[in-house]
Amino acid sequence: MTIPRDDDPDGKTAAPPTTRRGLLTATAGVLGIGVAATVLGPVAVMLGQPLRHDATEGEGDFIPAGPRSLFAGDKPVKVDLYADRVDAWNRVVQVKVGSAWVLAQGGTLVALSTVCPHLGCGIDYVPEESKFYCACHKSYFAIDGAVETGPSPRGMDALELQDDGQLVSIRYRRFKIGKKTQEPA
Amino acid sequence: MSARDFLEERLGLASAWRGFVDRPWPGGPALRHAVFAALVYLFVQQALLGIALTTYYSPSASDAWASTAYLNDQVGMGWLVRGMHDHGASVFVVVATLHVVALAVSRAYVRPRELMWFAALAILGLALALGLTGNPLPWDEKGYWAIQVELGIAEQTPGGSIIRRLVQGGSAAGNLTLLRLFALHAFVLPMVVAALLVFVARQRRRHGPAPAGAARAGSYGDGQLLLDAIAMTVTAAVVLGLTVHDHGSELFAPADPTSGFQARPEWYFLFLYKLRHYFEGPLEPIATMVIPGAAVTFLLAAPVLEKLAGKLGRIAVLGGLAIMLAGSLALTAMAMADDRKDESYQKSLVEANKLAERARALAKTGVHPQGGGAVYWNDPEYKVKQLYIEHCRNCHALEGFGGGEAPELTDYSSRAWLSALIRNPNDERFFGKTKHDTMEPYGSDKLSDEQLAATVEYVVSLMEPEQTLDAALVAKGAALWKDELDCNTCHEIDPGKDNEGPNLAGHGTLAWVERVIRDSSKADLFGSKAQMPKFQGKLSDEEIAALSAFVVARRSPPAE
Repeated sequence: MTIPRDDDPDGKTAAPPTTRRGLLTATAGVLGIGVAATVLGPVAVMLGQPLRHDATEGEGDFIPAGPRSLFAGDKPVKVDLYADRVDAWNRVVQVKVGSAWVLAQGGTLVALSTVCPHLGCGIDYVPEESKFYCACHKSYFAIDGAVETGPSPRGMDALELQDDGQLVSIRYRRFKIGKKTQEPA
Repeated sequence: MSARDFLEERLGLASAWRGFVDRPWPGGPALRHAVFAALVYLFVQQALLGIALTTYYSPSASDAWASTAYLNDQVGMGWLVRGMHDHGASVFVVVATLHVVALAVSRAYVRPRELMWFAALAILGLALALGLTGNPLPWDEKGYWAIQVELGIAEQTPGGSIIRRLVQGGSAAGNLTLLRLFALHAFVLPMVVAALLVFVARQRRRHGPAPAGAARAGSYGDGQLLLDAIAMTVTAAVVLGLTVHDHGSELFAPADPTSGFQARPEWYFLFLYKLRHYFEGPLEPIATMVIPGAAVTFLLAAPVLEKLAGKLGRIAVLGGLAIMLAGSLALTAMAMADDRKDESYQKSLVEANKLAERARALAKTGVHPQGGGAVYWNDPEYKVKQLYIEHCRNCHALEGFGGGEAPELTDYSSRAWLSALIRNPNDERFFGKTKHDTMEPYGSDKLSDEQLAATVEYVVSLMEPEQTLDAALVAKGAALWKDELDCNTCHEIDPGKDNEGPNLAGHGTLAWVERVIRDSSKADLFGSKAQMPKFQGKLSDEEIAALSAFVVARRSPPAE
């Protein structure tokens, strides 16, 4: 029996596989596929967990942002929002989950997420121009959060805000970036 | 040119496959040659499962247990992947042993296969080392205590304290220990095993798997290929079967350096554990080093033995190997039998499993970042117990702990507690060490047992209307209360009224205990003689309510 060599890729000189040989090889192949499936199946299910369940919890409730008096001025105020959060196996108490710009619009308070809808950088406020500005890719937003110039596909994301006259709370959420309309992340 | 030819020209996969299948297999197909295939399969399986586990596991002292509990109990099929990896390790040890046996039986340790033989022995050693470094990774009670003992044994060897410091990353177990074990287990040892497996495969290709007896025409693909595939399938089926049978792999409670966990090594180390029992004190190194060292040396010397002594040498090699295997098996069986008979061990195992179940249930809501034992903080009772220990236990004993200054609160305000109190209120268990000393004891000369039961039943009826009461006894007790015993001269029973002793309307109820915790010196409670601190303002309303519930919930229900 001749062993094919690299310079004989067609294996013409090798003996043609007999039926018995073919059957043996095919059986071995079927067994191999079955064995591979018992390992790769569970592994795939395990790795795919994030597609079925979120590993983090903690967004969604109203989070106290500060006393009403904090937002009495006419400039936007940035507040950091702290909440309890589950991150995979950890439960973390009072961890920063995000931040928001709070400002008065026509007498009522409005909260805008600091996450830029373009690619998720942090949006800053430029007091000299009374505008919001994302320094990563130079998006400018008007004081009401609407896009003025730059690559951001939509205006700043408004967050639900509760104002009972004493305490201001914000429901913090994240949205998909890069979309024309607001979609929950 | 077809796509197939295009790939073939560049990669040569088809011809490589043919070369693999068509290589001559002189001795003909044999099951003992298939052990190596099972070994290769197990290595690949363990590598894949191990990589999957690293996507959830975090090797730090605070995260290891919590992340293992998460991947085992909350991630889809995580239990199966972890279980197969754990049982795969056991099977790997068995198959690596069988591989050594197969080489010995095939006489594949003599020239020119000496290096193949050494590699097979090294793979078996590394299989054990992978177990040693892998089992502590969950940082549960079993893993933590196992590595403590193993490092203790290593410390007894010459230069062992250096080994311990290096492996442990310092003088105490912690983050560095886990990272070092993880680096060894996931990177260093597997790379060495992979290199050795490749080496053995190349040696088999070069020399054939074993010295062939009568040469038979035929190639690998004529039978050995299928035998190899069957060996791999059986191995995979055994691993899967064991895992499903055991519902995955055990995970004990988080490592607690203060617990008295009865550590046992993994089953494949039990023979050494048992061997150690026969050599106590200064003789211990005989079991931990001399005997295992001699066995390894003997196996390494197999090629020389046969060269020197011929047929006698071969008998010595096979006989020696058989004695070692039989001895190990016997010691393992004895160690298992010992543990089955050991009541204290079985009891501690039941306790350990209970604690593990509780810790894993609590871990499902997330473990605080302090990690490990912090899982118990999730238990609502944990917090209130801490409050009780901090604020109450110094004076009020509960279930055998603390106390001395104020009434014991074990079984507080139950019928038994009330009976004992009425018999002798000045007992140290009750008001003996307080300023409340005006109530006179009612010994059996003043109050018969029957009358006492009636009085207690009446006092219980003042607590809550839904109490199961004996109406006749209550009526009898009510009469005693007013007429014969004159309790009402000191104790009011209408809410709000005050007198010398505490008003007993609703005494012992949640609301009553809460009022006592807030301020026990109220006129209708214990009055100006009360020494208990006022917790109104010191503890929150929720904390006071929780403490009250903690005490009241411990009262045993009325005897049937």
